[in-house]
Amino acid sequence: MSRPAVVFDGVWKKFKRGERHDSLRDLIPAAAARLLGRSDPAAAENLTDKEFWAVHDVSFEVNPGEALGIIGPNGAGKSTILKLLSRILRPTRGRCEVRGRAGALIEVAAGFHPDLTGRENVYLQGAIMGMKRAEIGRKFDEIVQFAGVGEFIDTPVKRYSSGMNARLGFAIAAHLDPDVLLIDEVLSVGDAAFQDRCVARMRELIGRGIPIVFISHNLPAILDLCTRAIVINHGTVAFDGAPAAAIQEYRLVPWTKTDRSGAGAAASPIHIARTELLNDRGDSAAVFQSGGELRIRVAYEASKPVQHASIAIDIHRGDGVYCAGINTMMDKRDLGVMSGPGYVDLIIPRLNLLPGCYLVSVGILDATGGRVYDLHTSAYPFSVLSDRRDLGVIYLDREWAHHVPPAAPAERTLVAAGKDGS
Amino acid sequence: MTLLAQFKEMFSEQVEYRELLYQMTLRDLLLRYKQTVMGFGWAVFMPLVNTAVFSVIFTRVAKIETPVPYPLFAFCGFLFWNFFASSLRFSVLSLTSNSNLVTKVYFPREIFPFSAVLVCLVDLAVGSVVLVGMMVYYGVAVTPALLFLPVVLAVLLAFTAGLALLLAMSNLYYRDIKYLFEVAITVWMFATSVVYPVESVGGNLGQLLAMNPMTQLIEACRSVLLYGRLPPAGPFAVTAVLSLFVLFAGWQSFHRAEFTFAENI
Repeated sequence: MSRPAVVFDGVWKKFKRGERHDSLRDLIPAAAARLLGRSDPAAAENLTDKEFWAVHDVSFEVNPGEALGIIGPNGAGKSTILKLLSRILRPTRGRCEVRGRAGALIEVAAGFHPDLTGRENVYLQGAIMGMKRAEIGRKFDEIVQFAGVGEFIDTPVKRYSSGMNARLGFAIAAHLDPDVLLIDEVLSVGDAAFQDRCVARMRELIGRGIPIVFISHNLPAILDLCTRAIVINHGTVAFDGAPAAAIQEYRLVPWTKTDRSGAGAAASPIHIARTELLNDRGDSAAVFQSGGELRIRVAYEASKPVQHASIAIDIHRGDGVYCAGINTMMDKRDLGVMSGPGYVDLIIPRLNLLPGCYLVSVGILDATGGRVYDLHTSAYPFSVLSDRRDLGVIYLDREWAHHVPPAAPAERTLVAAGKDGS
Repeated sequence: MTLLAQFKEMFSEQVEYRELLYQMTLRDLLLRYKQTVMGFGWAVFMPLVNTAVFSVIFTRVAKIETPVPYPLFAFCGFLFWNFFASSLRFSVLSLTSNSNLVTKVYFPREIFPFSAVLVCLVDLAVGSVVLVGMMVYYGVAVTPALLFLPVVLAVLLAFTAGLALLLAMSNLYYRDIKYLFEVAITVWMFATSVVYPVESVGGNLGQLLAMNPMTQLIEACRSVLLYGRLPPAGPFAVTAVLSLFVLFAGWQSFHRAEFTFAENI
């Protein structure tokens, strides 16, 4: 129990940039160089100008019962980490260990052959994933049912739709019974109903205490399923901690460079200097309680006095759902003259959002809303925690009332008659 | 890691993944059966056509002496040669044509060339039915020497598998190998006693040709099947040792390199 199921200890992985030497023509000069002693053995550990570190001193552990999410921008090294874990790649330096049978859901239909039927492919793909024939035979009906391919199981998979193909692949993988489950962005396949089944299956495995490493760009899924998350950026671990906090950290990565220093802002008489999300104690925070206070403080800097400007604030959920659009103009709140530095607070006394990660966009517009002085789109993330069990986006204040209809007259007579007869 | 520990790891991996080897072999056999009209007929058809062509050449155009009737001599040669040559032909491409699996799923990569060899072994079994028919037709007597056939086959299998591993691996790094292979295998066939007995070539060239391990192996097959005698002990022992060496050297270098396959394919 105390031993971690996955150990990733100071792992480095080197990749080559540019084209690979593919033919014998290139071998001869390379072999000559080696013979002349121009390449020393230490070179294997260092970089030449054509190489780079795809994974750069990454360490983490996953304990039994933990579900680790890995998030980060494209090309950050997430998939490389998963390939190292599943032994497809071997680290240049460091140690990488998985205890027990690792079920890798990297490309779930990789072993499918288009000319073979669904049935034949289930046995083939199952064997590729390390299942025994008898085991596949036992689970065969369950797999077919999970995939929902039904009567097409004896049709060659080249006749399948791409969704059916992926569903059958995932169904096999889902029945693997691994000791450790490695998942790389497979939830994006299939329709909504199938995705729900996948999430349910993952939850079941997590519930059984099977450690999971889960790579996804689907942030709500990370927040929902994982007990911990790490952010990978440029091949290194940028953050390791609670999923909600990791998502914030990840959200901050790209925007620090682009949106916040918009080029248009320089010409504007007024720009957003800073935006802070404050809790009920007035502290800057990233995590808020559902039903608690959220105060959004927009600090501005005006190079010359601006009259009747308005401030607009939008809140989107991490998956893009538009939750709220608020501005001073619609609220008939005239900010008067804004000059020099100053700030405006938006106070939300009861934040009735349900748990999830959200993004705040802030803009300063002119009186008509026609001119945008400054805009920070989806620049400020926060997450909401709660013990409320509701589903959806918002918490609705409510109460229930149960009105029992008066019993029907006929029934009453019958009961009375019964009483009489006894 | 010592060599012994490495061999132990290599073997235990194959034992662990034996079902996958079976499934991959089954896949290729099924595919052939589905994608072609003749299916396993091809396993018989190719050596038969070759035998017919060379029978015309060597019995009508340029007569040569063979210990058994020429068609039997040639068909037996083609059957075992085709096993060897097709095994290697499929193995050369076995890694590169499965690049999707090599880069996406982990399992011992030896499975690819091994299953290619096993598919050809099935072809050999199918073709041998025709060989038995021809042996009956020409009245070849069954002798105790036939008991030695499994040993000969094991050595042939070891030699083929060793080369299959080396070729599959080389073609992954250098795609020139598949073209080189086609040239080499054609030359190699005529340097082997497939269509003519090597004893008929005299002088230095004859001695050179006799050193070819495939000549030893094909002649050993003919010896136990058709001539009713054991292959010459000395040369056969040398061939057996060489074959085992090729197998283990090929397997070990393949095994050491297989972790770099995914990033080099």
